[in-house]
Amino acid sequence: MSHVNYVTFTIVLVLFLLVTLVGFAAARWRRTESLMNLNEWGLGGRSFGTFVAWFLLGGDLYTAYTFIAVPAAVFGAGAVTGFFAVSYTIIVFPIALIFLPRLWSIARTHDYITPADFVRGRYGSRGLSLAMAFTGILALMPYIALQLVGIQAVLTVMGVGTSSTNTYVKDLPLFIAFLILAIYTYVSGLRAPALIAFVKDFLVYVMIIVAVFYIPTRIGGWSHIFAAGQAHLKAISPVTHKPNGVFIPVTGNNQLAFSTLALGSALALMVYPHSITGVLSTKRRDIIKRNMALLPIYSVMLAFVALLGYMALADKTTVANVKKAGGNAQLSVPYLFQHMFPSWFAGVAFSAIVIGALVPAAIMAIAAANLFTRNIFKEFFKPDASPRLQTKISQWTSLVVKFGALLFAVELPRTFSINLQLLGGVWILQVFPSIVFGLFTRWFHRWALLAGWLAGMIFGTIAAYKVATPTTSHWAGSTDLEFGHTVYIGLTAIILNIVVSVILTLIFKATRVPEGADETLPHQYLAEQAEAPAPAPASASAGLGTAGTAGSADDLKTELCRTGSGCPAGPANPASGDASGAMGYAARSRSGAECLSGYRLVTSPPWHGYLGTAGRTRWRWRADMASLPCSRCRAGTCSRCTTRW
Amino acid sequence: MTEPPVQSGSPRRAAASAVAAHPVTSAVIAILVIASIFFSLYVPLYASVTPKVGDFPFFYFYLIIYMPAVGIVLWIVITLQKRLRQPAAGADPGGPGTGEVTR
Repeated sequence: MSHVNYVTFTIVLVLFLLVTLVGFAAARWRRTESLMNLNEWGLGGRSFGTFVAWFLLGGDLYTAYTFIAVPAAVFGAGAVTGFFAVSYTIIVFPIALIFLPRLWSIARTHDYITPADFVRGRYGSRGLSLAMAFTGILALMPYIALQLVGIQAVLTVMGVGTSSTNTYVKDLPLFIAFLILAIYTYVSGLRAPALIAFVKDFLVYVMIIVAVFYIPTRIGGWSHIFAAGQAHLKAISPVTHKPNGVFIPVTGNNQLAFSTLALGSALALMVYPHSITGVLSTKRRDIIKRNMALLPIYSVMLAFVALLGYMALADKTTVANVKKAGGNAQLSVPYLFQHMFPSWFAGVAFSAIVIGALVPAAIMAIAAANLFTRNIFKEFFKPDASPRLQTKISQWTSLVVKFGALLFAVELPRTFSINLQLLGGVWILQVFPSIVFGLFTRWFHRWALLAGWLAGMIFGTIAAYKVATPTTSHWAGSTDLEFGHTVYIGLTAIILNIVVSVILTLIFKATRVPEGADETLPHQYLAEQAEAPAPAPASASAGLGTAGTAGSADDLKTELCRTGSGCPAGPANPASGDASGAMGYAARSRSGAECLSGYRLVTSPPWHGYLGTAGRTRWRWRADMASLPCSRCRAGTCSRCTTRW
Repeated sequence: MTEPPVQSGSPRRAAASAVAAHPVTSAVIAILVIASIFFSLYVPLYASVTPKVGDFPFFYFYLIIYMPAVGIVLWIVITLQKRLRQPAAGADPGGPGTGEVTR
């Protein structure tokens, strides 16, 4: 290891300490009575406005890995595998605008905290919800690990870390940084990354603006930068006997790879649990929409971040340094900064990357912890867990997740974790049909979606495993050949997933396999904050076009119970703490059951229900049924009822 | 279930009347969203070095300019969506007391 530049190091240290203070102080920010509620700890009280949400989502979506890996890919292979990220971060916003507002509304109405909560409520399937949670956690772990790889790259270039051969001693600074991050996330929950995101974004913007205007003057202007990039990418690699990369995708195959990578990644980004956590933490539906229009400003910056890869190619010292470090392209940007900037500003730039890693790592850990708590712990082990207990579990899980990721980053070879992240994208894409299609239609059968998910997961994993280059035998990339075209594996897998889901849905519908209960109502997908508590019964029925049944005494009772007001006395409620009184809404299953215990369901055969129909579950299922639109229109005029039972 | 094809963020089913009441606005929203996705994914359109803009090859320039453009387009879209929500004359499905549904 080279000697440490103390100016750079001091600046990084000071900014890191500042961020730590902010992280702990965040617990007091927008203070509520208690943080011990998942809505508070895990979603920042669902209170963030446009401004905070912009920083939070920006800090969430553009990770340290982006700042390191995207330019590294451009540095190594040019447009197709690197610059596609720019196209991808463009189209992610129009795509997200189509479905995120609906997700926000339904989650706010039913107090869903994770995407798997939604799937559980929509399809009434614990199995499908578990699959969603499992995929989410699986995809997030390597993603968190990669944030560490980003920090590691910076630390390596700074020369921090002892020269010991023991990895644990060598990576001690990384451990300490992560320990501190873990503690303040534990204490402050989502408020910590939300507040730190301000610092992060400020530093990142300063870093990029300076880099874009200053570096080209040092190395001969943009024309030289692009010329150097083009020359490098054209050169024939001695290993593969092919050009190093693609400067502009002119062949059909390259163009296809470019756009499928962009489309696939864009579809994946917004179903990552940490993106959804960020989205659900906002105060109003409008805020999501506004941010979809405002976040592209952030992407402009990403384009220039990507071009740092060409700048690094244009700077001979950086190229030599990277070569000396074993050709690790991840180091190209840190080396470029180190060589180009005075040491104090290199410190600012390095802290931007390090802090840029902490924000998303914290949000991802929170998202993974919420998935575990809500959809595994509460669902399968302790259905009557109090909000306080759920928060405790989430806090501890976030610690476990972080240290798991740390081991991941330290123990596994670096290239392996990068490939796992590519795989993570392929995996998370497989939850897309269940979540996003589910927001628009209940046509798909829950088990068909589960089978499609499984098919996509297996195909994607095997296909990614088989990708080989002359230098690597497995996991060498994220595109492969399908019928002679280079296509992003994730996209092929999701197409397979959808095809399986459609075919099986048709089969299951034809054979009348039970479809499960749906606790959501159509108008709830459009709810604003003010109307998130369900509207009056008459309007709900009118929205469904079942005016004939509106206003009967039973309907009124259902609605009153669903809104949590005026429940008639019933048997003891097993989980009164579960009714989210803060929202004035008590539609969650068991609290509804209290009100509706006398409600008889006419058409359900005894084998209806969840995958397991053991005593308690069945009971809950019946309770769910009672609060559903179908039970309301037993008169039989509702098209939903006839299609579903 | 007869879902209309994905076209815009908010109005659907419960607000189907809103779409019917503002066909032009709805169509414009759909076109803008689809176009903003399409013109980024259709690579042959911009995969060339020339015409150079400043020192930037056209490919890179296009993508850099595209982002603020998408931001503006999406801003127009959400503004138009707000217009969709205003109750169109006579499209109120539930009569008095159902203001929530007839956005």
